[in-house]
Amino acid sequence: MIESERTRLGASLQVPLLTALLIVVLVTLVLPPLIFLLKASVMIGDTPSHTHFGLDHFAAVLGSRRFVASSINSLLFAAGSAVVALVFGWVSAWIVERTNTPLKPLAYLTAIISLGTPYILYVSAWLLVLGKAGPVNQLYRSLTGASDVLIDVYSMPGMIMVEGFLWSPLAFLLVGATLRNTNPELEEAARMSGAGLWATIKRITLRLSLPSILALAMLVFIRAVEAFEVPALVGLPGRVSVLTTDIYSNMVAKAPPDIGGASALSVLMLLLVLLLLYGYGRLSRHAERFATVTGKGFRARAFDLGRLRYAAAAVLILNFVLLLLVPVAMLVWVSLLPFYQPVSAAALKLVTLDNYRTVLSPEHLDLIANTLVVAVATATIAMALTFIAAWLSVRRAPGGLMLDRLATIPLVFPGLVLGIAVMQLFLNVPVPLYGTLGILVWAFVINYLPYGMRYSASGMLQIHRELEEVAQMCGASPFTRLRRIVAPLLAPALLAGWLFIFLMAARVLSLPILLAGPRSQTMAVTLFDLWTNGQGTELAALGLIWSMLMAMIAAIFYALARRSAAAALARA
Amino acid sequence: MKRPRFALTAVLLLAATSARAADASLIDGAKKEGEVVWYTTQIISQLVRPMSAAFERKYGIKVRSTRANSTELSVKIINESRAGRPQSDIFDGTSTVVVLKKEGYVLKWLPDPAKAYPAQYKDPEGYWVANNLFFMTPGFNTSLVPRGSEPRSYEALLDPRWRGKMVWSTSATSSGGPGFIGTVLTEMGEAKGMAYLRELAKQKVVNVAGAAREVLDQVIAGEYPLALQIFNHHTVISAKKGAPVDWIRMEPVTGTLSVLSVHKDAPHPNAAKLLADFIISGEGQQIFRAAEYLPADPTVPPLTPSLTPEGGKFRTHFFTPEQTEDQMPGWKKIHDDLFR
Repeated sequence: MIESERTRLGASLQVPLLTALLIVVLVTLVLPPLIFLLKASVMIGDTPSHTHFGLDHFAAVLGSRRFVASSINSLLFAAGSAVVALVFGWVSAWIVERTNTPLKPLAYLTAIISLGTPYILYVSAWLLVLGKAGPVNQLYRSLTGASDVLIDVYSMPGMIMVEGFLWSPLAFLLVGATLRNTNPELEEAARMSGAGLWATIKRITLRLSLPSILALAMLVFIRAVEAFEVPALVGLPGRVSVLTTDIYSNMVAKAPPDIGGASALSVLMLLLVLLLLYGYGRLSRHAERFATVTGKGFRARAFDLGRLRYAAAAVLILNFVLLLLVPVAMLVWVSLLPFYQPVSAAALKLVTLDNYRTVLSPEHLDLIANTLVVAVATATIAMALTFIAAWLSVRRAPGGLMLDRLATIPLVFPGLVLGIAVMQLFLNVPVPLYGTLGILVWAFVINYLPYGMRYSASGMLQIHRELEEVAQMCGASPFTRLRRIVAPLLAPALLAGWLFIFLMAARVLSLPILLAGPRSQTMAVTLFDLWTNGQGTELAALGLIWSMLMAMIAAIFYALARRSAAAALARA
Repeated sequence: MKRPRFALTAVLLLAATSARAADASLIDGAKKEGEVVWYTTQIISQLVRPMSAAFERKYGIKVRSTRANSTELSVKIINESRAGRPQSDIFDGTSTVVVLKKEGYVLKWLPDPAKAYPAQYKDPEGYWVANNLFFMTPGFNTSLVPRGSEPRSYEALLDPRWRGKMVWSTSATSSGGPGFIGTVLTEMGEAKGMAYLRELAKQKVVNVAGAAREVLDQVIAGEYPLALQIFNHHTVISAKKGAPVDWIRMEPVTGTLSVLSVHKDAPHPNAAKLLADFIISGEGQQIFRAAEYLPADPTVPPLTPSLTPEGGKFRTHFFTPEQTEDQMPGWKKIHDDLFR
């Protein structure tokens, strides 16, 4: 009796200790950059000896007409991108997961390769395709004889389209995972009761996946508010300013940089995102109602679409052509040229492999190694932290809510601003991380905590607590429960999260751009340098080689994630 | 009479030997350091790569480089230096050095070969020396704009046919919109200049958030017919590869120096001096020449002489690093107000 009492006491202490430890870790990660940002936003004067605190920066930002315009643009851009990404993602995920449509592998191929592609590469590919001199407008001019353009990609619709495309593979994978884990009993019941296909989708499928769709929409929305690549490459030339490009202009396009103004603007963005997060919190409060993974076994059955399945296959083909074939073909074309030229028979004479020869040099091996180290370390640390945090938070352990909030705070940081904040931090504390890969990992972990948390938490939300309650009644300690019940069931979500963070850390630019030093270059930074240096043809060659490598890694991990999902379900 | 001459010879001899000795110990020290970090504004594929390769071949010392524009580089160097963690050994740019000099992060030292350089290519106080010259002009796509119909004067840029067809960099340097504004104001004066710029703003010049090299590439690709404030030698480099592009001798041309300095607290002080010395030396200047850049060393003539004011017979407004740095915030503000 005494023995088992002690075990229970030990077990009951494990959770609070774990929570406390995790809170300390997250606070150490998350708060210092925030404090630096806030401090910079109220610090007036640019020399260290002549400073005082004040709200001048805020007054200047709020008083400008540009702020209003940029805010509206940011919201429009983010909302539009979320809609595009979710429509593309949801439609193809539903076709793949719930119907007997042929050519399903095409959708995975599209998603996986797109996920491996650095933003910079993807965006420049689309600018080449849709630009004034691109094949689309070229075709339009030769067909109609017009001298104008059909599509002006350097515009708000152009920005929304490219950003939406950027996020639709992710939406596809996430919606797919939710649909796969959703018990189809209700859908089947509806079908048997005589409901048509559309009625079933509308009244059952969409409603059941509503929380995950909304959560995903929020994710894309927030990320699009913070997006940098598309606003910089597409928005700036088109004179569409958003909040992030305003911050960027304050930081680097101005001599001397207006760090105060940039920080004040960032703090305002932070408040905006907080507001959005509040809405999201209210939304997911009653998540248990939507628990769709229970102790019951099920096997999803595909709808027979009849002849409609050819139309569905056409959608998948269109998806593949738009999201993958066209941009890749354009990049291959450019990578074979000594300088940009529109697609034409005349330009074929210029074709050369010089760019590939240049980028296949030993110095790029360093670059690849650096990038892989940063991405692997970031993904592993972030998922390990958020796995436990999500469990504590979803199971309402004391302090669990705080963990969730802490891990979510970094969402308010645009990557660019987090880069500035982390840089200032390590320049001022006696920890020798500056100029190493360590500072990149540190910043990336902060940046991706919220995403790790969303993956882990949305996975957790789907696991009904009844499984753990059974284990608890059988005397399993919290760690045993974590290890034997939660981890295996959560494995698909964890692996998907790991994969996502790995690929993001390997492809994203806005964060490392300010932190990468001469000894810690990463692929995205090099690709950006190639772009700003006007070495677009080398960019295409290097980017294609890198994307192929990343696509292979993405495919391996995706296969792993699927298999462990099946295994977890079989065990359940 | 004999003795002073002997003394002079002795002094010269001594100076020569000590210079050589310093060189030997410099090379020794540099080799021990093993690497050197170059913060540069030069285009990697065109210049930094061949320069680094030649240096590595000669001394076996690894060159690591990071490229950004002048402003970004100075922000980076200030941040690192204030925290006592400088990463760069040498740096270049059209105005990078000025603010760094004020902050006290620049070594007061000039490489030996700089002695033979004209006075206007060196800082009178000895903090920088020019490694090459830049001339900013418009450039045009020769397939889209038939030769002869390109605009040849500032007034011609106001022709409605160029509305929405011109592109420049947003970079707050002499090779961006702000640099163009600076030349216009210097040439026309405040009142006339501003009136001109207000007219130009109606032409909706397109902003690109990249370097002037990227701006020119978009023109070569046919995205826009006309680029403003690009480097004239870049058009020659591209045209050599067969690109449909040329530059326009629109007077006055903006002239600047790309200048080189050594960081006061360089992590690799010997390798820093050795690389600076190499870039300024005849050997380094030949690499500029071979790359179609315009060497600062007057004894190394450019490969294409017409790119310089003397060879091309064009009038130039020359801006020193200090002038550029002092006036840039004002030019940048006008750019923001009128063109964004």
